[in-house]
Amino acid sequence: MDSSDASKSVRPVGHVLALVVERNPIVQRLERYFLEEAGYQVEFSNDGASALARAKELRPAILITEILVPKMDGLTLCRQLKSKPETAGILILVFSHLEAEDRAREAGADAFLRKPLNEEPLVETLSRLVARHQDILRGKK
Amino acid sequence: MSRKRLSTGIKGLDQVLGGGFPENSMNMIMGSPGAGKSILTEQMVFANASKERPALYLTTFSEPLEKFILNSQSYTFFNPAQVGVEILYEDLGQPLREKGYAALPDLITEFVAEWHPRILVFDSFKALSELARTAEEGRLVLFDLATLLANYDCTAFLVGEYGPDTMTELPAFAIADSILSLQRHTLAGNDQRFLRVEKLRGSSFVPGLHAFSIGAGGIEVFPRLLTPSSFTSYSDDSGRRVTTGVQGLDPMIESGFWRGSTTLVAGPTGSGKSMLSLQFLYQGALAGEPGLYVGFQENPVQIARITKGFGWDTGKVEKEGLFELMYRSPVEMQLDEVAFRIFERVNEGKVKRLVIDALGDLKRRSLDTDRFADYIYSLTQWFALKQVTCLMTYELKELFEFHSITGEEISNMSDNVLLLRFTPEAEMARTLRVVKTRGSAHDHREHLLELSQKGVAVGKPWKGMRQSSS
Repeated sequence: MDSSDASKSVRPVGHVLALVVERNPIVQRLERYFLEEAGYQVEFSNDGASALARAKELRPAILITEILVPKMDGLTLCRQLKSKPETAGILILVFSHLEAEDRAREAGADAFLRKPLNEEPLVETLSRLVARHQDILRGKK
Repeated sequence: MSRKRLSTGIKGLDQVLGGGFPENSMNMIMGSPGAGKSILTEQMVFANASKERPALYLTTFSEPLEKFILNSQSYTFFNPAQVGVEILYEDLGQPLREKGYAALPDLITEFVAEWHPRILVFDSFKALSELARTAEEGRLVLFDLATLLANYDCTAFLVGEYGPDTMTELPAFAIADSILSLQRHTLAGNDQRFLRVEKLRGSSFVPGLHAFSIGAGGIEVFPRLLTPSSFTSYSDDSGRRVTTGVQGLDPMIESGFWRGSTTLVAGPTGSGKSMLSLQFLYQGALAGEPGLYVGFQENPVQIARITKGFGWDTGKVEKEGLFELMYRSPVEMQLDEVAFRIFERVNEGKVKRLVIDALGDLKRRSLDTDRFADYIYSLTQWFALKQVTCLMTYELKELFEFHSITGEEISNMSDNVLLLRFTPEAEMARTLRVVKTRGSAHDHREHLLELSQKGVAVGKPWKGMRQSSS
């Protein structure tokens, strides 16, 4: 069995950094496995406030956030990032147990995915975001 | 939003659970050793596993992995082609012995990252959790494991040799989304197997004890018979009458039984209950109405002797799908299995007439008398709804005089009651009296029940010793 076939076919070119906002270390560990297996470079923040600071510092290509995170919820984080020119280009995936796709889109999210974690839809969604990110970069050039 | 279900692959259990276990849930399968927990869980795994939905079966300390697989292969659901491709067996005991119980969430994370399972089984989880050095460690590890399983798209089964008294004490029961308890009850020296849903979060289920059996194909579940939620009322349409097939009986109850009615045929041994009932089925079959005889005393060979004696060609109507004998040993049968088998056939359109011979055998296999009365009531309501006309026989101990027909108000639940007995004269003639009909007028007189080479027939009214001899 190799369920990583899908992820191999959409492996991002170069080092694509994904910043993941997730408070639970066990879930962080599992997400790291799957995202690194799919070829991403992964950093974590435990809460929304530190994620905002880290996003400004690291300028990741993608930010993945749960809505239910401490200090600043994922939707507020999303609005904050999209409102600042220096972080507005970060592509945001809201990845949550809450059925809140409309709210996530209103907050400026580029994609929404419902938990629980299933590696195939997660990697597929990210690959679509990566393709968009690379198009944006090519457009700038 | 209702949760998707993972079918158990066991029709009766899916009915009990409302379609199966909720997907992405943590489920507890509990019961004493030998209750059938592992068989049930493996059967579910083999029914569901695929390349898209791989299953990881983790054995622990209750049984070595090799012995476990050896035992499992004796069941027909065990498909070796699935093992190693769609179903992975791993021993969790050894790595935990080396790393300690606290390493359990990390180990499971590694297994998940490696195998991507959508179904995950811990067998036995109880044996595993006994490795916790303190209650606090046990609780913390369980919480971390539950967090992992709640966040990962996978349906988990925790199998354990837990007794009912542990449910309020152990944290695993509070965390579990569902609890399925497998039990054994001893009745007259025989074990009967039952299962019960103790908990099913966010979903309704069929409450109570549900019988199940274990055979070569694994587990078969027979959901407890419940009263139907809708009812059919009888109409005055004479076309809805069903001829009894017994000469002279139809005019005693206007023109036959109401379709969908239940008739109690009570009488002492040898009074003609089985003969009358078989004739009801056979004559119905000749008229194109399929019938089912459910018997617990006479086996098919003995029944064939009776029917052959009357010159009935039951083999012919049997081949045409109009007559079926369903024999169950009165020692081993379970009430709900009998009902399940009957309604399997009814729902396939194979039964319009039914005989249950005899109620006393069913009663002896019931765990309590209240349950038996509920069961019979539900049966009669289902027969009315499904328009199955039923005769149920009941054996009375006294030969000549009766103080009550049955002790469980079964006669109240029946639409009609036919009382068969012997006259007290030396000849001991058989008689039949219609004691009760619901929604019909009836002849109140006691009639002779005559037995000939063609079957039974209702004769002239019996007027007692003096008059009949004059």
